[in-house]
Amino acid sequence: MLTIIIRSILIYLIVLFVFRIMGKRQLGQMQPFELVLTLIIADLATIPMAEVSVPVLHGVVPLLTLVVLHFILTWITKISQKMSKLISGKPVIIINPKGIDYEAMKKLNLSVDDIFAALRESGYFTIAQVQYAIMETNGKISVMPKSESAPATNGDLKLNVEESFLPIVLVNEGKIMKDNCTLAGYDEKMINNIINQHGCKNLKEVLLLSIDQAGEGYIQQKDAQGKPFTTKRLVQNEK
Amino acid sequence: MKNKIFHIANFIFIILVLCAICILEDVLVSNSLRAVQTQCYKIEKLIEGRESLKSMDVVMAVDNLEYMWRQDESALCFMVNHKSIQEIGQEVVRLKTYIAEDEVTEFKVSLEEIKHYCYGYLHFMGANIHNVL
Repeated sequence: MLTIIIRSILIYLIVLFVFRIMGKRQLGQMQPFELVLTLIIADLATIPMAEVSVPVLHGVVPLLTLVVLHFILTWITKISQKMSKLISGKPVIIINPKGIDYEAMKKLNLSVDDIFAALRESGYFTIAQVQYAIMETNGKISVMPKSESAPATNGDLKLNVEESFLPIVLVNEGKIMKDNCTLAGYDEKMINNIINQHGCKNLKEVLLLSIDQAGEGYIQQKDAQGKPFTTKRLVQNEK
Repeated sequence: MKNKIFHIANFIFIILVLCAICILEDVLVSNSLRAVQTQCYKIEKLIEGRESLKSMDVVMAVDNLEYMWRQDESALCFMVNHKSIQEIGQEVVRLKTYIAEDEVTEFKVSLEEIKHYCYGYLHFMGANIHNVL
């Protein structure tokens, strides 16, 4: 049994390494060849894990071979448009201003229900609201609404709004995020000053402390409500 | 750029590892099985025309075969399914029993079986069109 435990840990680490170097795509974002590789890898990993008589190498070698194949296919799809179309397919317009393209729908083996489900997921409940819908190569449907159905943006309303900034988490559950602090230009002393100003005696009491480049911060103690605060601005306003 | 170099390095590393494993497997399997085959031929020559197996040279030759196989078997288990090679070990153990019981015919059959297994595995483990398909 100990052998199985050790093998499981070993194979888990190898599969983790394999997925790590294959990239960070989620299941729904995978191209067809990536999905096939993922399914095979999942199956391959279980064989030497459960069967002690099978050497671990019998699981590792196919895994590594698939990684190499993945690298090669990714490289080919990057350098050749034709091969990319052959391997991953190409996006297909399934709804155009005239309505649903029935031929494309049949070709993609989609039903009207599938199209409606995808539209609802995008926030549109009738085809009349949609200008174009495109079936992407990863199986997702992108929807472009008609102008009258598209949500108004600040640009449409000609509103003068301030640029928004990405909040950077500096303290997470009592721990200083060192990389984020470097990015934001804060050191431990500055963080301690901020938390002391907001009534925290030490870092362990802080659940979350985040600050964006405009100096808008948010702090929450573990046993209290969160509160926004303003501190020095990290970027100068160009206006 | 750093990411690209990391990916290329990974790619090259994996290809090298795969090549090393393939070469190692080929060398290990062919060396081990050919050594067993050679030892079997030696034993076969040794017992030619004999009516009894109870002699020191036969015992030593079989012990030698067993020792050789035990050493190679543990290395082969890194590369090959244990179940595929366990028959050779079983036949080697049978050889020892047949010496104790002085069963010449059975001894010869076992020896033939070991040679047959070795030949079969050498064929089975190589990369050829039959194995690939």
